[in-house]
Amino acid sequence: MATYEFIDHRYDVVVVGAGGSGLRAALGCAQAGLKTACITKVFPTRSHTVAAQGGISASLGNMGEDDWRWHMYDTVKGSDWLGDQDAIEYLCRNAPAAVYELEHWGVPFSRTEDGKIYQRAFGGMTKNYGEAPIQRTCAAADRTGHAMLHTMYGQSLANATEFFIEYFALDLIMDEGVCRGVTAWKLDDGTLHRFQAQMVILATGGYGRSYFSATSAHTCTGDGGGMALRAGLPLQDMEFVQFHPTGIYGSGCLITEGARGEGGYLTNSEGERFMERYAPTVKDLAPRDMVSRAMTMEIREGRGVGPKKDHIFLHLDHLDPKILHERLPGISESAKIFAGVDVTKAPIPVLPTVHYNMGGVPTNFYSEVVTKAGKNPDQVVPGLMAVGEAACVSVHGANRLGSNSLIDLVVFGRSAALRAADILKAGATQPELKPAMSDWHLDRLDRFRNANGGTPTAELRLEMQMAMQEDAAVYRTSTALASGVKRMQAVQAKRGDLKVTDRSMVWNSDLMETLELDNLIGQAVVTVVGAHNRTESRGAHAHEDFPDRDDKTWMKHTLTWFDDKTGKVKIDDRPVHNFTLSKDIDYIPPKARVY
Amino acid sequence: MVQLRLPKNSRVTGGKHHPAPAGSGKTKTFKIYRYDPDSGQNPRWDTYDVDPTQCGPMILDILIHIKSTVDPTLTFRRSCREGICGSCAMVIDGRNALACLQGHDDCKGDKISIGPLPHMPVVKDLVPDLTLFYAQYASIEPWLHTETPEPRTEWKQSPKDREKLDGLYECILCACCSTSCPSYWWNQEKYLGPAALLHAYRWIIDSRDEATGARLDELEDPFKLYRCHTIMNCAQVCPKGLNPAKAIAEIKIMLVDRVV
Amino acid sequence: MSFRTPLSQARGLGSAKHGVGHWVSERVAAIALVPLVLWAVYSVLVLAPLDYYAAAAWVSDPLNATLTILTIAISFMHMQSGVRVIIEDYIYSHFNKAAALLLNLFVSGLAGALAVMSILKVALGGA
Repeated sequence: MATYEFIDHRYDVVVVGAGGSGLRAALGCAQAGLKTACITKVFPTRSHTVAAQGGISASLGNMGEDDWRWHMYDTVKGSDWLGDQDAIEYLCRNAPAAVYELEHWGVPFSRTEDGKIYQRAFGGMTKNYGEAPIQRTCAAADRTGHAMLHTMYGQSLANATEFFIEYFALDLIMDEGVCRGVTAWKLDDGTLHRFQAQMVILATGGYGRSYFSATSAHTCTGDGGGMALRAGLPLQDMEFVQFHPTGIYGSGCLITEGARGEGGYLTNSEGERFMERYAPTVKDLAPRDMVSRAMTMEIREGRGVGPKKDHIFLHLDHLDPKILHERLPGISESAKIFAGVDVTKAPIPVLPTVHYNMGGVPTNFYSEVVTKAGKNPDQVVPGLMAVGEAACVSVHGANRLGSNSLIDLVVFGRSAALRAADILKAGATQPELKPAMSDWHLDRLDRFRNANGGTPTAELRLEMQMAMQEDAAVYRTSTALASGVKRMQAVQAKRGDLKVTDRSMVWNSDLMETLELDNLIGQAVVTVVGAHNRTESRGAHAHEDFPDRDDKTWMKHTLTWFDDKTGKVKIDDRPVHNFTLSKDIDYIPPKARVY
Repeated sequence: MVQLRLPKNSRVTGGKHHPAPAGSGKTKTFKIYRYDPDSGQNPRWDTYDVDPTQCGPMILDILIHIKSTVDPTLTFRRSCREGICGSCAMVIDGRNALACLQGHDDCKGDKISIGPLPHMPVVKDLVPDLTLFYAQYASIEPWLHTETPEPRTEWKQSPKDREKLDGLYECILCACCSTSCPSYWWNQEKYLGPAALLHAYRWIIDSRDEATGARLDELEDPFKLYRCHTIMNCAQVCPKGLNPAKAIAEIKIMLVDRVV
Repeated sequence: MSFRTPLSQARGLGSAKHGVGHWVSERVAAIALVPLVLWAVYSVLVLAPLDYYAAAAWVSDPLNATLTILTIAISFMHMQSGVRVIIEDYIYSHFNKAAALLLNLFVSGLAGALAVMSILKVALGGA
């Protein structure tokens, strides 16, 4: 092995990732007087939060009466009761303050006539516990994530947050179950860095790129999840992968749910507004899992549109062009570029497309990473937190409601910072790191850097993506999932046969994509194994052989461990929290999920 | 004096040609700037024959196709592939653009050249060093300045005042504009460039901001602001259709308003 | 290679807090020159057929003298101002830049002053 040397850094907190949750966490920690570093593989405003369009949910009540309890009820019902209700209460109660904070930082929210933040309707958001759709999603036209991310980056600059930009995180430094830091590779000069910290916060986003067609960016490779798995930690509820109903047919680019929130609707080849049949009350504003299933069903039954009858139309052409220009300018542009459609005149061809991972690193509502140790399902992993899409708090349960992810980022980014400020002492002494804790990080890097097998990275990536796309789709069957498990096992075994061509250290994107692929593979394996294991249908996990929700057996979180050497997956479970945080609201007991 | 030729170690030489695999359909040739800092060699133009029916319609699809099937060492930044993250800005067919939004069919000629953003230090292949660009953005203090105690809810803003931010806040910091500006080429250490100035104006014109005067003070400078000679390349190339030159003109008008 | 931080590089020497005056004066001069140059073109046409004495007499007319002086003076100021921007754009070294700026100022000033003086001489002296 070539000799590698680490450049050492010591911080109170190291945040990995600079998307919405990472920036919020880093900002909070820095403001609390903790010496904080934020390391990120892309410049902060390139993180995928930037692509969020529709908005951020909070019961501000700017468009009529609203209540955080209604928001909570919708989130619980949206999660198909798999969400932890203490965490959901924390989310919904703290949402309005979080949005006001963003506004005070300068987010250019759209406005109502009386100067308040404009809110739009979104899927699954209702008033008075499911009565009718409500306008709860705060929007900055259809570029809310972009507006938020840029504002939060500006706020980080105002607070002199220390960034390490274009540093690719390699692995967690673990010391007998305690996280002591993280190692990283600096792309622009090829040096290696060891960040020691009292607390590492993973804010690395989802792993959407394990699928062939995803709205996710190329950089959504779930590096935090991969690191957690290699550190011997479990991931939770990985079988729940959200398909967004309206990805542009072909390119997979996102068309916000806000398009339907503003009055858009879906039609099949007969021109029928079929959602009226599937969700009579909320119609096109049903949660994403239901709309995606309805669309898939229409296509399967031969009512798809286009020459191959393999997609669905999203109509905006009946809306006032002025409204489109004011509230949906971004997607009007995307539709033009990627589908060649003028939305004022023609419908957009759309298809359910992988969009979000409900699963992730399990945490409590303080954002501390938890694992199951013996009988204790809530054993905190000292020194490690996770926030945002990388985490599974779990507020989204089996299906996330649109616009709940942006609020998740800021509420739990903030909660992580508050907790860190609570439990850490700024500048506290940290134990010396031993080489053995990070030698294996270098071994792995060197192994991939010099990988000289017969399978180029791009080839194996495609094989994984096709397996996931075909066998862990909107609808799943035992046969498909069994095939998926087999195919993914074959993929993970081929990691030993990878071929990397670029051997350099400076901006070696061949090597970086290989390390990302390795992160993806672990998570793809546990996703499909978890899905095969869960013999019920709940939220985004629609199992055709077990079409009903089975609360008796399956009202529990799946935990999966991945053995990086053998590729074996260990499965266990954690109970779903059947209690709330306060007496202000009672536990919402499961019932049939109809809209 | 301004340097009109590249330094000796940066002059681009001819490179390798990669023909399309046998059995490909009609091919198109892409001439791509390659620079490997580890090799100690000068940058070179490599050419690749690609059958465009084998991949998507955008230049980014072509680059990914080349990286996946022909040459994994080809290096470029990319992320969202839908024109919102601003990673894949490069000069394509002689014009700054986002690779993910630029269709190869819309490029003229049989040989399409692709290079890193002009007049920036090159780290590797199509990856420029944007450190100074980002620092200039930071220097205009891109955050809301307020002194009045914050309200319990939001700062009120009328739809009309909010509308003034349209055409400004959408900037994705891709650097297409600044690196297309000759004034920025010659004086990038002193001139803030169109992107930073557009952002400066975005905060100046925000009805919630209370530091308009201080912001204008910081900009009133023969170099930071007045190096803009209204060449308008910035507005020509902006992949989001924004007009930084207009924002700069608005700042100049506000400065006049202060004294007249 | 510089070890200054990027932010320090971006901030540079800070804002000069002037520039609007120069910018305004350039534009005012440009606007003033539009009628003046039209008038100058007209004057050249008028002057072309005249002999020396008739031309001198034309110049000694107070209105003609004033407008000629204004045209020439503002043109030189405008030229100096424009060339200054070009020098600032393209010349970086302190010495060369200072030398070029001074040269620009002195040449424009001298040429302008000479021209104005000549007109005054004709206008007042009755050559």
